[in-house]
Amino acid sequence: MNKSHEADDNLSALLDGELSDQSAQLAIRQLSGDPAARARFAEYCAVGDLLRGHHNDLPDLTRKVMAALEDEPTVLAPVRKTPQRRPLLWLAAATCAAITWGLWSAVPRQENAVPLASLQTPAHPPADVMPYLAAHQDYAQAVLTVPEMHFTRVSLSREAR
Amino acid sequence: MRAAWLLLLCAASAQAAQPLPQAEAAVWLQKMADASRRMTYEGVFVMRQGDTMQTLSISNRPAGQGNDSRLVALDGNLREVRCSQTGAVTLVTDGSQVRTEKRLNSRHFPDLLPANPAALTNWYEVRLGEMARVAGLDCRNVEIQPKDAFRWGYILCAEKDSGLPLKAVLVNAGNQPLMQYAFAEIKLATQGYAMKPPSWPVPRPMLLPVLPEPARQLESEQVVARNLPPGYTRIAAVKRQLPNMRSEVEHWVFSDGLTHISLFLSPSDKPVDTVKGESPRGMVHLMRRQVGDFQATVLGDAPWPAVETIAMGLEPR
Repeated sequence: MNKSHEADDNLSALLDGELSDQSAQLAIRQLSGDPAARARFAEYCAVGDLLRGHHNDLPDLTRKVMAALEDEPTVLAPVRKTPQRRPLLWLAAATCAAITWGLWSAVPRQENAVPLASLQTPAHPPADVMPYLAAHQDYAQAVLTVPEMHFTRVSLSREAR
Repeated sequence: MRAAWLLLLCAASAQAAQPLPQAEAAVWLQKMADASRRMTYEGVFVMRQGDTMQTLSISNRPAGQGNDSRLVALDGNLREVRCSQTGAVTLVTDGSQVRTEKRLNSRHFPDLLPANPAALTNWYEVRLGEMARVAGLDCRNVEIQPKDAFRWGYILCAEKDSGLPLKAVLVNAGNQPLMQYAFAEIKLATQGYAMKPPSWPVPRPMLLPVLPEPARQLESEQVVARNLPPGYTRIAAVKRQLPNMRSEVEHWVFSDGLTHISLFLSPSDKPVDTVKGESPRGMVHLMRRQVGDFQATVLGDAPWPAVETIAMGLEPR
């Protein structure tokens, strides 16, 4: 039990980047050989992303990790850190993204239940619509601002074409 | 006449919420339509559409067989609409420049009903609602409710003596407001108030600047509207040049007297995608499709079935 707690803490620390490079290497090695630990690690990643509200843009995780790294202050003084630290973080982030992306892709999405025939694709506003809306105001209401519109591309039945 | 009006008022209040018989409904509609044109009044009203709000001043007075009216936007860019029997113009002041454009029509609050509104009773039911107070004046709510799905309804608050609409709410089928107008302040000449001379230097009748005609009659028609919603007729069909557009377009207007739907036809040399458009609160609907060699754009402050019926009924002639 204690061992399992310790392992969980280790995973959590790996995700938070709190492990030393040596410990992180060890933890990743353990992850690759232990499917149960991998599943727990994936859960941690998913929970963390949900808490941060990042569940819709998981593919951007690596970009965000890199952006966060770039935000780190540049230290000009010589440092003791071994050069492996950044690639390791990269590896942890990539593993996390890959596993959680796999989990999220496996969850059935609500949109899939919509029959294909009823789908209407959003369309860009046609370029010349604003002058038409403005010209219509002559008959609608005076001195009004032209309303903002949302457009969808629709399919017509063959007879209607 | 006043006694008859009062009798009508009493009889009407006894049968609140029941649709008025058509003849009685027509009297109410005519009273409100006449008051907005033939009375002398000036005031300030607020227009609200979704998240947008505008404040406008209005002055109106009878002139000959018609009326002169002047609307000025009190917020944002200086915009003004002047309407007289000879036509209507919009003046937009942008910095030091004043742009003047001739309008094809001049429908505006509180003058929203057609000059002869009796025919509206075929397509709308009229119900009398509660008494209310708007801009310090007592008024009665008059609900104009569509009998079918091809038009929006209105709730007008008619000033208790004159019938002048002090408030107008455009409502959808669920009675949700789509657009609202209400006077914040109004002075009626019938209250013994002698209207000041207008502050703009215009002799009677109002003289509008001479401007090039914005539209010309169609020479030939290559598209036909085979199917119109009940009660709608074509009230205009012109060729006009629109700002920022290279060539002239045809502008047709269909109306039942209260709801207006425009059709714009322009030649198309490539296939046109069928597109449906809607304003955020669903007040304005639009449909664009190809009809023969034309791109047809149908739009209006009307429910989708009305716009769709017109758009799908278009055929090459």
